[in-house]
Amino acid sequence: MSAAALETARVWLVVALTLFGLFFTLVSMTGVLRLPDVYSRAHTASQADTLGAGFGLAAVALTVGLAGAGFKSVLLLFFIFLTNPTAAHAIARAAFEEGIVPWTEGDDRR
Amino acid sequence: MWWVADADSPSDAGDPGDGSADSVGSTAAADADAAGGPAAAGSVIVPVEPTSTLRSTIAHVAEAAATGGAPAIHLVEIASWRNGDPESDERAAAAERVLERAAAWTAADLDDSEAPGAADVEVVTAVIGADDYLFGADDYVRVLAEYAEANRADRVVLDPEYTPVGNTTLLQPLEFALSNTSLSVETAPVDRPTRRERFRTEATTGRLVALFGLSLGFYLLLGDPTYWFDAVTGVATAAIVSITLSRVSLDSDPAIPRTPMRILRGLVYVPVLLFEILKANLVVARVILDPRLPIEPTMNRMRVIVGSGLPLMTLANSITLTPGTLTVRARDSDLYVHSLVPWAREGLFDGSLERWTRFVYYGRRSARLPTPRERDDVAILQGDDATEELPIAAADGGDVTAEGADPTADPEEVTDR
Repeated sequence: MSAAALETARVWLVVALTLFGLFFTLVSMTGVLRLPDVYSRAHTASQADTLGAGFGLAAVALTVGLAGAGFKSVLLLFFIFLTNPTAAHAIARAAFEEGIVPWTEGDDRR
Repeated sequence: MWWVADADSPSDAGDPGDGSADSVGSTAAADADAAGGPAAAGSVIVPVEPTSTLRSTIAHVAEAAATGGAPAIHLVEIASWRNGDPESDERAAAAERVLERAAAWTAADLDDSEAPGAADVEVVTAVIGADDYLFGADDYVRVLAEYAEANRADRVVLDPEYTPVGNTTLLQPLEFALSNTSLSVETAPVDRPTRRERFRTEATTGRLVALFGLSLGFYLLLGDPTYWFDAVTGVATAAIVSITLSRVSLDSDPAIPRTPMRILRGLVYVPVLLFEILKANLVVARVILDPRLPIEPTMNRMRVIVGSGLPLMTLANSITLTPGTLTVRARDSDLYVHSLVPWAREGLFDGSLERWTRFVYYGRRSARLPTPRERDDVAILQGDDATEELPIAAADGGDVTAEGADPTADPEEVTDR
């Protein structure tokens, strides 16, 4: 494969990754708007972080090259993967300790 | 104005006038009385040990004394040594330092207090019971009671973490024995850090070195390892980090075959986890974009076998990272997990993440345990298939678990719309 073809493939891959990232961020936003209670929203809010940011950072790494800033974006993803569930857990746990009963089927709150 | 009186008895180790080995606890107390100025009825005694809750206990006592008009706060250290013992001087000096710090805190709290009585509260420190070996709660209470009588104190406030002799939990026997005296006893209503041993562990060389290496490596990874300036600042930063945080960040020493193996197996786990996340994301995205929004959220309980600390955190975070399942509470080895759709719940009960966590931390042999479902360690807490009650339902006073939440159960819930 020639260098130019490789370059084109890289650009298209970056575009694809960015679109995937945007898609999951959009899904996540839709979920936060549509889902009924704090627990189920916490599920979908983490989607924006895991795959939304995941694909976005992959696109960044591919754009800038794996040396230097690209490597840092991988580290960034690593830290997001550590902090995101911790924050989601903290919110859910706070709700649980406040005595908020999770929404189930048949509940009028929606 | 408050003032700090040092009520050390002559029999205290470290005191120049030491020599009255025949004196008993009450002598110490009487001397304390003489040195500490007039003590009226209603003074408070606080036995002091360097615990994690000492600071908040003192804040509580100072506020209570200021508002209640107690004439004095006696901070006492009950000696677990006897004068003349080897090392008794060092231990007495250490006790003095603790008392000094406690007195400074009390003084500062009284200064800050807005209660009108705050200025009249006197702070007295004393080491008592250094003339004798004390065995058990009864001896401690005897010494405390003698000191209280001599200083006309009628109240003892106990630090909830107070243990006079190191690790033995003497608090409950001590409370019980004190309740047989004329003193009124109270345990300070302060928050105890849960599992404090996990937040503060021993500092060992192994952990110090490991944390230093880790911080330095990370620093150089971000900077330029070949540039001398980055190397120097990296060493300085890593030194500060490892010295200040080695007690809280690692809870076991790195061991040679174990730690590298865990890291290697962790590297195997990462792509597995990423694949699980991708799969679950697609399922959840489909559910969310479906116009009918076909969700069946339930709370579930799962007793996991992974060990406490880091493995449990890894598992709980992996569960939360996977959309469709969310760890809400970890109580001992019980995880309370909220699931959005039955598919996610079934996947959780099949225990693949639990198995992988065990693999990462303990190797392949331990990974081959039965799944949580096979062990019967799972429970659904909500919905038609509920097998157990939701632990928070009791607080709401209704049986909201069996047929889904009752919309009228709790007005507070409505705010969660």
